[in-house]
Amino acid sequence: MKSVRLLTLKILPPNRRHVFRDAPCARQTFADWWYTRPPGACRFTLKVPPPNRRHAFRDAPCARQTFMGRWNACPPGACRFTLELRRLLQSPLTWLTIFLTLLSPLAGLYIYQPASASTMHTMYLANPALAGGAAGGILFALLTVYELDRAGRSRMDVLVDAAVSPLTMALVRLLALAGAAILTLGAVMALWLPITAKLIGSVFHMEDYLLAYVIFMGLALPLSILAAASAFQFTRRADLSLAIFAAFAGLSLTVWSDRWQLCWLNPCVWALSDDFSNLRIFRSAAWMRMTWLGALTGIWILSWLSIRQYGKGLLGSLSQSLARNARLLYRPAAAFLLLVCSGTAFAAQPFVDQSNPDQTVMTFLEIPFLEGVSFLHRSVFVCPDTAAGTVAGKAIFQLQNHSGQTQTLAFGINPGYKISSVQANGRDASFSVSDDQEYNESLLQVTIPPAEDIELSIEYGGFPQEDSSMSAMQGRLEISDEYLCLENSVLSPRLMNVPPVNVPLKNVSAKDVPEAEYVPYPTTIEITLPAHMTVIPFSPSQPEKLAENTDGTITWRYEDSGTGGILYAGDYLRQDIEAGGLTIQLYYGRRHQAVMEAAGAAQAVKAVVDYCTEHYGPLSFGADGTLKLIQSRVSGGGYARNGASLLDEVDFTAANLDDAGKGTVPGEVMIHELVHQWWGLANMFDPASANDAWSAEGLTVYTTYRIVKELYGEDSSSSYARENYVKKWLQAVDDYQKNFYVRNPRYLAALPQKEQLNISNSLSYVRRYNEMPLKILKAEQLVGGEEAMDAILCDLFNRELDYTYPYLTYSDFLDACGLTEEELNLKKN
Amino acid sequence: MNKIFRYECQRLLWNKFFFGFLGVLLLYGWQVLEGVTLSGISHTAPFSPWSFGDYLSRMMPLLWTGALFFLTFFTSSAARRAAVLTDAAPFSPRGYALTRCAAALTGTCLITFACLAETAVFYRWYFGWQDWGTLILPVLTVLVPALVFSLGSGWLLGRIRPWLLYAWMLFPFLCRTLPLPQTACIWNGSFFARYPLTLDVLDPPFSLPFSTAAVQTVVLGIGVMLWGIGMCWERK
Repeated sequence: MKSVRLLTLKILPPNRRHVFRDAPCARQTFADWWYTRPPGACRFTLKVPPPNRRHAFRDAPCARQTFMGRWNACPPGACRFTLELRRLLQSPLTWLTIFLTLLSPLAGLYIYQPASASTMHTMYLANPALAGGAAGGILFALLTVYELDRAGRSRMDVLVDAAVSPLTMALVRLLALAGAAILTLGAVMALWLPITAKLIGSVFHMEDYLLAYVIFMGLALPLSILAAASAFQFTRRADLSLAIFAAFAGLSLTVWSDRWQLCWLNPCVWALSDDFSNLRIFRSAAWMRMTWLGALTGIWILSWLSIRQYGKGLLGSLSQSLARNARLLYRPAAAFLLLVCSGTAFAAQPFVDQSNPDQTVMTFLEIPFLEGVSFLHRSVFVCPDTAAGTVAGKAIFQLQNHSGQTQTLAFGINPGYKISSVQANGRDASFSVSDDQEYNESLLQVTIPPAEDIELSIEYGGFPQEDSSMSAMQGRLEISDEYLCLENSVLSPRLMNVPPVNVPLKNVSAKDVPEAEYVPYPTTIEITLPAHMTVIPFSPSQPEKLAENTDGTITWRYEDSGTGGILYAGDYLRQDIEAGGLTIQLYYGRRHQAVMEAAGAAQAVKAVVDYCTEHYGPLSFGADGTLKLIQSRVSGGGYARNGASLLDEVDFTAANLDDAGKGTVPGEVMIHELVHQWWGLANMFDPASANDAWSAEGLTVYTTYRIVKELYGEDSSSSYARENYVKKWLQAVDDYQKNFYVRNPRYLAALPQKEQLNISNSLSYVRRYNEMPLKILKAEQLVGGEEAMDAILCDLFNRELDYTYPYLTYSDFLDACGLTEEELNLKKN
Repeated sequence: MNKIFRYECQRLLWNKFFFGFLGVLLLYGWQVLEGVTLSGISHTAPFSPWSFGDYLSRMMPLLWTGALFFLTFFTSSAARRAAVLTDAAPFSPRGYALTRCAAALTGTCLITFACLAETAVFYRWYFGWQDWGTLILPVLTVLVPALVFSLGSGWLLGRIRPWLLYAWMLFPFLCRTLPLPQTACIWNGSFFARYPLTLDVLDPPFSLPFSTAAVQTVVLGIGVMLWGIGMCWERK
């Protein structure tokens, strides 16, 4: 084992002329050090490994004698890393870097705020940590280039290379820089802990704090050091290294900032939850960091092997490194392995699926129902692993096959799941999972035998993947012992081409069924979860405790109907609110209790339900007259179905409480999703027209605006509603109409398909959420004002339904208003 | 003079820094074109002067850095050691400085042209568009003042303290994060996203408000002035 020994000479000014007086070469080196040393430094240090120690001063007998004396006196095993780290920490520039990095989270509070959600953890933890990572990474990259260039800049490299292998020195420098980065991270975390805890308040969570600073900030530092060191070792030029790093960091901070796997410096984090865990987004960011860590370490090893030796160039040094010693082949092998692993990790990431980016395509919905096959019952047994964030489950389908021949069933399954077994009547059935993915589902096809009664059992499991179109907003499918959300094909395989037994549908597909949940697809769900978790089906069903298991879990069971199903579970509290003739069961996270009470969430919910009931009529569904309102983890939106609506946690945050502009009724996502109970569920819209401007969203957004306008009061609130709704619609529609590709579709058609989809997807949203509410507002003015519009909407809501086509269409709306489509066309500005 | 100019050009341009930087610049530029410019800026076409101006303002910090890196060739410790010899040569120091400036300007022009050529390829590739004449004004507005200012100020700063050049490289990056006033918002990149929207016409022809044009002219003037001061200093 080679060990570097340290030759340290303490030199005082009066003696400096005598040092190395018999060793011109070393003297010159010493002179260079002397004139570039940090102020006050008086120790000149040389590191010399054993093979070279006898030759280090062969022309300098005096210095050699001194060196040998020191060598023999030096304690064995002196650590090169410690010495280099100590030297690094003596540099003022290092301390400046550390100081600026300590301050860098401040930028996240004021200047650089990539995470947009308004939760306390997002504003006061995610943004400072991300800013600290970006700024600290850049600072440490600059320090790395400066330090690696130091020897060459001071013309010490010849001597140092003679004393210590340049490869060894590069490794030691890298480790020392990494050590400094770790010390800095520790200091940052210690400094910002009390500040963050004070800013976040009662919902502060220590685990989130540690993970955020380690993953969002801490890992940026070694990545930057590796990137800068690699660039320097390849190019051996500080200027070019800085340019390469600037471009690399610039891409991450700008063009790649929405591409979660590419933004290596600033992870793509849009929100951290206050009330529930954030493990999924931490896992995703850590995966990205580890992918880049592997890639950059591999690149660094290659650059390390390319360090110039024996007067050769890049390729000569590299080949010399490879050819010199067969025993050292593990080095390039390690680089190759790391690069392959990181490439694989990039390509086979488990977080996001490969769904078709063209969101107008819904081929799964168009799969025709099988003739002669009927659905009787589905039983699902789900066992989430809350530690690993995975799900294991078994779904048993009772079917009837009257066709007398084999049939191929189509299921939608989350692309992250693997199917471990499919059995029909106890025998293995053939199945295949297609590579085609659509709306966060893969197509599972199972062939069933011609027997009349079929019991089909599917075992599945894995780490659920999120929709690729939402890859910049990950975290929805959080599974932990604090929170869990299993939606449709994440809960169990979703049968797509078999009608229920009593509804013989021919030549139709799921698209033609008004709402799958209205059709009797009886289902029993059993789920086993830690005892402290409250199970909340996103439906009118109430779960019952089936068994308390010895491992501290409880198995719950509830009945449901529909091919999918949504289940929430977590550390929830429940508050019952009477409003509009209904009992609203409001579920919210235990950590959020103080904020919900301070925000008057119960009053807000009651006000919204009362408003809609008074203006449009009471909801008629729900035999027991209950409606669940479930607070979800921050997700940037919500949804509703019969008997349940979602409430995003950003509706009620401590920050919103201090926002005087929002008046007395916070929670606009909650209002929106509650209104969907009237527009979208009690009154349905044709799903085939989901991409048209006319959809449930138009009336829902309009009604939300009206509620906000009324409940926020006349003075401040009406201006709030105008500013935040009408003006935003106008702006969005104006932007849409002026968009270059909308005005010149031939240019859009000329683009590659990927670019076309990126642009057209962003435009279709505007039509439903902005253009249509604006048209309804225009209709309101044309029919005589708000009261007249309320009367029209009330009539529409309570109209007699045609059950063959129960949808509320744009024509119905126009007819009720006595207007034509042309009259509602918006004037182009 | 020509021989020295050619020698300085060779020193600046025939090395791995130049080609490496060129590669970095082109890679970054293509990412910007595909990721940002392709969508069009302020409702205008991707090939409008406004979208092109936005692209240039995003590339400007890198070009600025490149121009200053060229100057570091003349202020490095190796160059300072060689200055003993060059100063002793029978050649006017001012003429020599001018020649070096010309070489740095040539290098800056080359990387700028590479950027522009890349845009030309991009427009041709995606849209078959080649009306290059309309894009001259954004170049004159965004790049010329900034790069002249960078060379002029960099030349002077390099004479004062070589390390100041490195600190000065951060200036445009810093500008992009600052909320600058309307008159100077070309420097933080918001001008091309905001100003066309205030013109109340679709696809407006390229124009500049007087204040912005004045600021850019002043920047250009200061750049020339600083360069002149640097030259005078050189003569001493």
